[in-house]
Amino acid sequence: MNSYQQFIRNFCIIAHIDHGKSTLADRIIENTGLVSQREMKEQFLDNMELERERGITIKLQTTRLVYKAKDGHEYIFNLIDTPGHVDFTYEVSRSLAACEGAVLIVDATQGVEAQTLANVYLALDEDLEILPVINKIDLASARPDEAKQEIEDIIGIDAHDAPLVSAKEGIGIEEVLEAIVARIPAPKGDADGRLKALIFDSYYDNYRGVVVYTRIFDGKIKKGDVIRLMNTRKKYEVTEVGVYAPGPVPTSELSAGEVGYICASIKQVADARVGDTITLDSEPAEEPLPGYKKVQPMVYCGIYPAGTEKYENVKDALEKLQVNDAAFHFEPETSTALGFGFRCGFLGLLHMEIIVERLEREFDLGIITTSPSVTYTVVMNDGREEMIQNPSNLPPPLQIRHIEEPIVKADIMIPKEYVGSIMEICQERRGKMLHMEYITETRVQLHYEMPLNEVIYDFFDALKSKTRGYGSLDYEFLRYEKSNLVKLDILLNKELVDAFSMIVHESKAYSRGRFVCEKLKEIIPPHQFEVPIQASIGQKVIARETVKAYRKDVLAKCYGGDITRKKKLLEKQKEGKKRMRQFGTVEVPQEAFTAVLKYDDNK
Amino acid sequence: MMIINNIETEGYREDMAAPGKSLGLYIHVPFCMKKCNYCDFLSFAGSREEDHRQYFRSLLREIRLNSKIYSNKYYVDSIFIGGGTPSLVEADLIRELIAVVRDCFSVAQNAEISIESNPKTLTEEKLGIYLEAGVNRLSIGAQSFDDELLNRLGRVHCAEDLLKNYSLARACGFRNINLDLMFSVPGQTEPVWLDTLEQATALGPEHISFYGLQLEEGTLFSVMHKEGRLKETDDETDRSMYYSAVKLLKEKGYVHYEISNAAMEGYQCRHNLKYWSMDDYLGLGLGAHSFLGGVRYSNTDDLAEYIRIGNNIASQTSRNRTQKPESPFTVWRHQNTKEENMSEYLFTGLRKRKGIELADFKERFGAAPEEIYGDVLKKYQKSGLIEIDGGCLRLTEKGVDISNGVLAEFI
Repeated sequence: MNSYQQFIRNFCIIAHIDHGKSTLADRIIENTGLVSQREMKEQFLDNMELERERGITIKLQTTRLVYKAKDGHEYIFNLIDTPGHVDFTYEVSRSLAACEGAVLIVDATQGVEAQTLANVYLALDEDLEILPVINKIDLASARPDEAKQEIEDIIGIDAHDAPLVSAKEGIGIEEVLEAIVARIPAPKGDADGRLKALIFDSYYDNYRGVVVYTRIFDGKIKKGDVIRLMNTRKKYEVTEVGVYAPGPVPTSELSAGEVGYICASIKQVADARVGDTITLDSEPAEEPLPGYKKVQPMVYCGIYPAGTEKYENVKDALEKLQVNDAAFHFEPETSTALGFGFRCGFLGLLHMEIIVERLEREFDLGIITTSPSVTYTVVMNDGREEMIQNPSNLPPPLQIRHIEEPIVKADIMIPKEYVGSIMEICQERRGKMLHMEYITETRVQLHYEMPLNEVIYDFFDALKSKTRGYGSLDYEFLRYEKSNLVKLDILLNKELVDAFSMIVHESKAYSRGRFVCEKLKEIIPPHQFEVPIQASIGQKVIARETVKAYRKDVLAKCYGGDITRKKKLLEKQKEGKKRMRQFGTVEVPQEAFTAVLKYDDNK
Repeated sequence: MMIINNIETEGYREDMAAPGKSLGLYIHVPFCMKKCNYCDFLSFAGSREEDHRQYFRSLLREIRLNSKIYSNKYYVDSIFIGGGTPSLVEADLIRELIAVVRDCFSVAQNAEISIESNPKTLTEEKLGIYLEAGVNRLSIGAQSFDDELLNRLGRVHCAEDLLKNYSLARACGFRNINLDLMFSVPGQTEPVWLDTLEQATALGPEHISFYGLQLEEGTLFSVMHKEGRLKETDDETDRSMYYSAVKLLKEKGYVHYEISNAAMEGYQCRHNLKYWSMDDYLGLGLGAHSFLGGVRYSNTDDLAEYIRIGNNIASQTSRNRTQKPESPFTVWRHQNTKEENMSEYLFTGLRKRKGIELADFKERFGAAPEEIYGDVLKKYQKSGLIEIDGGCLRLTEKGVDISNGVLAEFI
């Protein structure tokens, strides 16, 4: 070990949503004296508005801190934040790979959750030292001893020394800091060896191009070096290296064991993929670091300009998002109902929701999103295979030998009283139970195999709703499987609206068709004529509802010659029409597209 | 009586080759005994006599000031004193008001002079003064003949007040009376509505307005509706009530001439027709609206501000004369474009049951409606919502029911 390395600690924090990761991170940053309380924004690491609102971390932000320990030495802490959602498992695993240890936060009132567990297993896969911390001990409902017991029972690590903390109240923070020094190993690695640096995150900066977050495992890197990305085989000249403390501070070099950033005029984040290994072009390492994989979108949907929104605006925004998000894909597509738009691919449902919200909020765009879909493998009669992401592109049934759909392994953690109702919703969604285990006396983990298209439809909402928010879910792709799938079409006033088409399992087609018809009936306003809403498979109508024609829309009187008031009312009416999407003769409010996807407890 | 002479002199105007155009005056009196539960008009409850007198001081100043701008271009052939409840204020104020109007404007001898009233506020004395001042049309806010319903609406009168007042007005000599009636009131059944219509027509008023209740933002009704304590009448019942009214009124000899208005032959409200025919009208008083030579104006709707402006005028009358020809009470002014004039002509004119005359449209705007709104007209002719017949473009019955959707297309 090089001597400087013994004073470095690289670690991350693992926690379930709401268990207090960001708050603890804030306290650590505060207590290392690097950032004054006044400068601290609430929850330092979560820097996107959306993240703060949802209480989750989407993009990573890494910070270098200096801590003067009780042993009299100053330690450099590299706190590597990890995204907190199931959609970002791969990114989490790469962040973990950059660390020697992980602080595991467990909420003293809630215990271990499925997602925490999933991340702990990822951390154990990376051989990290796990440092459990019991948070929220200030709450009346805190059960720290039970939480410790759960950690020992479920994860199998010793938790009796776990610091008892209230990140919110600032209790026990020093104990955590000392434990980090004492228990998390210092990094190793040969500073004189050939450069091996792991990319664990990157983001696009308007002035410097892509900024790559990296952990140096062997060797050194400095400005002017020509680097090579071992998996994408691209070459760049380094323009800047430095550390985040917490803003970017350029340094002369980064050496083995250190964490920092590199700029090298990289144009988009897709060129500096998470998990890739940086080496020197002149003296390349023999092998890249293990664990690289190119992430593939799991969920697709169409994104279309709504109302008067311009196609070009949407395209520009998507391009900007893509520059910063290697996992996000899009390509142009056309819909008869919606015109020109884009087929977009996401890691998962949350990723999709986040992108859609950013388009709406940050870019202030009016967009319509179509039903999310997965990638189906369609095996044609002649043996040819086609990958279909857009239900409208499904070839005619007669040309199809069979269709295959992605199956995931879903791990669901719930309080035991909900087992019955959750098994029911899993079954309804074609889930096959693998096994069930009592993690503690009161908490159960269910392991299912489930078609991804059921998971992305409304499973997460249903799980949350049925368990009053206490259920958690983690899933990963298993395989493709032959399945009896059909294309369900929706017709408004006898005309097919392709944007509503979806691929569903035959056994679900009737109930889904009925549900969509009922929802649309609620949402489509009365027209001057009757509007039949039909769900069909091929030529066969399987569900029907009717929006009655309206009978009355007339102003009784005018207010003392105030024509303007009447005119405003009519203008509003006309404006309202503009926000509608016209399909043939039928006007459909834009919210119809999302409403037909929402889980409905009463259905 | 100088003033009376004045009327008679000016009265010749219409009979002579009339100099200038005709003008309707709307005069707003924003006071009520009590705010009705459905009402979002500009009116205030709980006023005292001194409030009325103070308001009328400003109002008379506004009239005098406006007459300097308009009286040489127009003669007045309708005056509509509306509210609020104009009959609430002291009758001498109404007398003075009309006197000042006559003093400042050329008022045609046969001008229609209407006043709105509430049965609870009318007395023989008041009615006598109105007649003497030249009011020749009395509009009574009857709304219903059912006490329970009147109570629910928050009206201050009962059916008995109504009957008494009606007879009193007749006895005093009113020859042109309008009754305002309401249908689609929550809880009002069709038989109750038909009974109200029977009772109203039995009295033989020359004019009947029948309004479907609308829930307006900010009213007690709309609050109750949001809280689920008030259920709106469903469309089917509403339309059924409307058509039973149209049918009954026709049977009783009334002409259904506007969506919500019916009158005996010759008793159509001249003033209200101006609103639906793009004729000029000058609005006076708080929050009043005007349409003059293609320009729309509105007055401030802030009572304190209105009074303040009135006071300011008093202190600077002499040097104000050469100022630009616009009233200081005006807070909003909009010069209509030709397109706006055309669309307003249509969406107001189509409220008249006979519709708009194609020839008149062409004369005013230099093009036939078909040339400008061809597609829309064709679409709605095809779906049976509008018809062209006898040189007129009008809404069909079905078209009336859903007229907003149709009219919005002309904007």
